[in-house]
Amino acid sequence: MNAASALPSVELTRNRADEDGPVRIAVKGLNFYYGSFHGLKDVNLNFHDRQVTALIGPSGCGKSTLLRCFNRIYSLYPEQRAEGEILLDGENILDPSIDLNELRSRIGMVFQKPTPFPMSIYDNVAFGLRLYEKLPKAELDVRVEESLRKAALWDEVKDKLRQAGTGLSGGQQQRLCIARTVAQKPEVILFDEPTSALDPISTGRIEELIEQLRDEFTIVIVTHNMQQAARISQFTAFMYLGQLIEFGPTNRMFMNPAEQRTQDYITGRFG
Amino acid sequence: MNAPTTIAQTDRHRPGRVRQGRRVADRLLRVSCTVATAVGGLVLGSILIMLIIRGIQGFTPALFTHPTPGPGSEGGGIANAILGSLVLTGIGITIATPVGVMAGTYLAEYGRGSKLAALIRFLNDILLSAPSILIGLFVYTLMVRPMGTYSGWAGGVALAIIAVPVIVRTTEDMMSLVPSTLREAGAALGAPPSTVIVSVTWRAASAGIVTGIILALARIAGETAPLLFTALNNNSWFSPDLMGGVANLPVMIYQFALSPYPNWQGLAWAGALLITATILVLSIIARLVIKPHTSR
Amino acid sequence: MSALTETIALDRSRTRTVRKAPSRSLDTLFRTFSYGAALLVLLVLAGILGSILYGGWPAFREFGFGFLTSSAWNVGTEQYGALVAVIGTVASAFLALLIGVPVSLGIAVFLTQLCPGWARKPVAMTIELLAAVPSIIYGMWGLFVFAPLFARFIEIPVSNVVEGLPIVGTLLYARVPSGVGVLTAGIILAIMIVPFIASIARDMLDQIPTVLRESAYGIGCTTWEVVRHVLVPQAAVSIIGAIMLGLGRALGETMAVTFVVGNANRLSASIFDPSSTIASRIANEFNEADGLQLNALMALGCILFVITFVVLIIARLLTRRVKAA
Repeated sequence: MNAASALPSVELTRNRADEDGPVRIAVKGLNFYYGSFHGLKDVNLNFHDRQVTALIGPSGCGKSTLLRCFNRIYSLYPEQRAEGEILLDGENILDPSIDLNELRSRIGMVFQKPTPFPMSIYDNVAFGLRLYEKLPKAELDVRVEESLRKAALWDEVKDKLRQAGTGLSGGQQQRLCIARTVAQKPEVILFDEPTSALDPISTGRIEELIEQLRDEFTIVIVTHNMQQAARISQFTAFMYLGQLIEFGPTNRMFMNPAEQRTQDYITGRFG
Repeated sequence: MNAPTTIAQTDRHRPGRVRQGRRVADRLLRVSCTVATAVGGLVLGSILIMLIIRGIQGFTPALFTHPTPGPGSEGGGIANAILGSLVLTGIGITIATPVGVMAGTYLAEYGRGSKLAALIRFLNDILLSAPSILIGLFVYTLMVRPMGTYSGWAGGVALAIIAVPVIVRTTEDMMSLVPSTLREAGAALGAPPSTVIVSVTWRAASAGIVTGIILALARIAGETAPLLFTALNNNSWFSPDLMGGVANLPVMIYQFALSPYPNWQGLAWAGALLITATILVLSIIARLVIKPHTSR
Repeated sequence: MSALTETIALDRSRTRTVRKAPSRSLDTLFRTFSYGAALLVLLVLAGILGSILYGGWPAFREFGFGFLTSSAWNVGTEQYGALVAVIGTVASAFLALLIGVPVSLGIAVFLTQLCPGWARKPVAMTIELLAAVPSIIYGMWGLFVFAPLFARFIEIPVSNVVEGLPIVGTLLYARVPSGVGVLTAGIILAIMIVPFIASIARDMLDQIPTVLRESAYGIGCTTWEVVRHVLVPQAAVSIIGAIMLGLGRALGETMAVTFVVGNANRLSASIFDPSSTIASRIANEFNEADGLQLNALMALGCILFVITFVVLIIARLLTRRVKAA
């Protein structure tokens, strides 16, 4: 409906205009408060279907805060609140009447540190599936395998599905969390600095994985690492002090930023 | 050049005394602290030796097969008291575990930042060290008087009230140690809070929660004061309807140890050895269970 | 435009699986149950206070304020007063602190500063196991092992020496050197509260940053000086809290004291003489009590409640403030 008309990116120089896709998430006039602290100030931004959008900016700029609005995970903490609108396929997810659990099953999230649950590898992946879909055992097995394959973990764990998820290496744990998230077939996947606790090799594998997941999912990733943003994202948003400074296709943002502050940050002059 | 010489001179005036005094104080501290610790060990050792010397000869098969004998008569055992104690602590821990774990869960999960939770946490800590005899008086008024009889149920409830604060405290502490990212990860998959608690937080904190339950068990297994006015004692076999006095080890030990009959006294010592050994083993198990948890 | 919208619609039907939300009522039930369990803690505490107030009320009404100041305890004439038991309770708890606190702190310092690494765990475990021993066992140990030795090697020699002397002659004279009395109760209580105070004090000392300790040793301090000038001031408030916690336990301890305090309703200046505490009197008389005596015992319970709860509240406030800081 009005999703397409809300596209601001039409004016921007596109590097891959044919793949932009429609708008999946539209953020309108979003303000966020931690108690009395104003964490996000009037953020307006669109996220495109099946593209990777990177949120970059110095520590404390609000990029993680913005990410945590999309599945309203912040509402676990009573002192945190968001105002404004976030439209997911035209539906305002900040609406108090929305079913949070159902929303979160449609929007997956992968955290900075791997968060395997204290249960077997199999049960970790099946956790989300068991919540929302009553599947027969055989079908569940298929879905678990499919998810582990998508997370490029299947070959490493297929013989030890009954072992504890916490026994895996850091990189494997993170891929297990990705498998757990994709198993639910969410529409959007949020990554909150998913590689900052990992070694370079594991980081490389996660980046490849995100590249592949783009075929199916709309992806938003918060990252500290500018090269990572440049490598894996199609769109980049630069945030600073709770404000969105600049948003555009990644190539243009990195080659030819419109704002001085973006330029300064990207070239490492601050941050 | 002047200043350093002055310091050197004053230093020369006093060093002997200062050094001596410091060394003596230090030696004194080291010796007295070591002695204090040794005394602690000695007392525990002395208690165990006393129990073994006086209690071990009472360890006959009859101890576990016969009920307590009448005053002045020979023979008999403490089988009814052992069974009664098992039943009473069983009732206590069965009531206390769900209540304690759920209350601890409330404090750790739902009550974060709320004033009511802070109050309950505070009062629970106080209840943790409250005199157990007052709990006996409470249950007497609540159950024994209205029902008109001492009863096993009243004893079990009194023990439960003692166990609950222990379980609440350890449950909350252990659940608070679970990283909040794990809860967020659960919620991010669309799991409702109760599912996150049951399948994620409880599981992650399970070793600690079990430890709390074992510690509570050890605590109530030897409690005497609250049973005096609730379950009291009984010299006959255990009756499964739990109405009327129920024989139990602590009250049996109390009554028999202070009795003038050597046979009863011997049974009291055997019971004391049995109950202390059980409790020490439970406490050691609790500490071993918690070990893998803390090292993680 | 319409093409785009169609793509979205198509897309949604493809990726969005049919989801059956988990039951909400189960979630609410769980929350309600946990809330109720927490409220039960409040209810129990209110119940304890309510029941003993209710039970003790007739005695308070009968004797008024005089209940606190009277030393009478006569079942025949139905005259009851709390004074002996209150003094016995406070005196034995005070003696317990006097003996127990230095020992506890010594153990805490030994465990954190002096003990070689390999011995730390077993020693700490031994001390903690002392806390697990049931109080009735302490009572038996006190009555059958400690009291005879105490009478023979302390009470009799000391009584012989101080007899006729002013002040100490009354304070330390045993009319009947049986080994039971207020001091014996204090010593047994001291042994019982040592593990509590020692383990909290040890935790507090452990929490002090190592840098602080190392820098003190680095400028040449001895262990005594580090303890005296660095560790004790740092942990002082919480250690006082731990001591108050021990005091709370000592005040309300029942079985061990009942064995060794002598259970006499007598006001005596000598700490070797038998006396009563509130808890020991309740334990001794409650089951045979009737009528006004029962009410008087309940009233004693009220006094115990008030004393211990004030002490415990102070203790928790002190230990909590440190945690928050």
